[in-house]
Amino acid sequence: MRTSLIETEQIEAHLMQRAEPGDQLVFEARLLLEPELHEKMQWQREAYHMVKLYGRDQLKQEIDAVHQKLFTHKEHLSFSQKIRRLFTNR
Amino acid sequence: MAGFKFSNRTAEEREKLFIGLYKNAFPAVARYVSKMGGTFDEAKDIFQDALVIYYEKSVECSFKLKTNEKAYLLGIAKHLWLKKHRENTRNVPVDNLDIENEEATQASDKKVLNFLQTAGKKCMDLLRSFYYDQLPLADAAELFGFSGVRSATVQKYKCLEKVRETVKEKALTYEDFLD
Repeated sequence: MRTSLIETEQIEAHLMQRAEPGDQLVFEARLLLEPELHEKMQWQREAYHMVKLYGRDQLKQEIDAVHQKLFTHKEHLSFSQKIRRLFTNR
Repeated sequence: MAGFKFSNRTAEEREKLFIGLYKNAFPAVARYVSKMGGTFDEAKDIFQDALVIYYEKSVECSFKLKTNEKAYLLGIAKHLWLKKHRENTRNVPVDNLDIENEEATQASDKKVLNFLQTAGKKCMDLLRSFYYDQLPLADAAELFGFSGVRSATVQKYKCLEKVRETVKEKALTYEDFLD
């Protein structure tokens, strides 16, 4: 892997607390000495956050598609009627 | 059911999983929401949020199902219902402030997310599999057509760098805009 990718991997190991103790020490020392590495780490943390939001957003769309299927397709009619009755017979 | 791991590799597998969970647990959740005076749409929203929580907990390796999925989903749904209705009645200024701040952060996140969804969908899908769905490397490699774990790993870090750069650029752009 090219150098920048190795560094990205190291940042990940640090953020996810998966680095070996020795590597961890070296990395922490570098963080103190290299402000740009520290900055990269902050943005990488934000990138994981964005991936999580993206994943959640996509999953919600998948779940909603399942809902639409269950409440519109004929093969699930008895199920959808059973649920709808809970809200009409009150 | 300790250590039970569901199959979530592909969209098809997830669809099957959610249809099963819907059929198994939604009737009980809908019955509860109906009893509490809620609407069909409220039952739907609460159940879908419960499914997301259930999914995220399940992909964390440490998570073991202590009870059956139906009881678990009903438990989360009840919790979400009560939380929602407590919040609706709350009218303390400090709370309002907190909510406003939260919404402001979410708005800026949303802008970046919208951009990533259109400009970098391929990378985002790959990263989603790794970090959100937490697929094993070999599974993700096969799913995305890589020759092996090694090249999938390289691509993962390339994508991560791309997203990191985008996030940085966008954050700085919006900062300028706000000034």
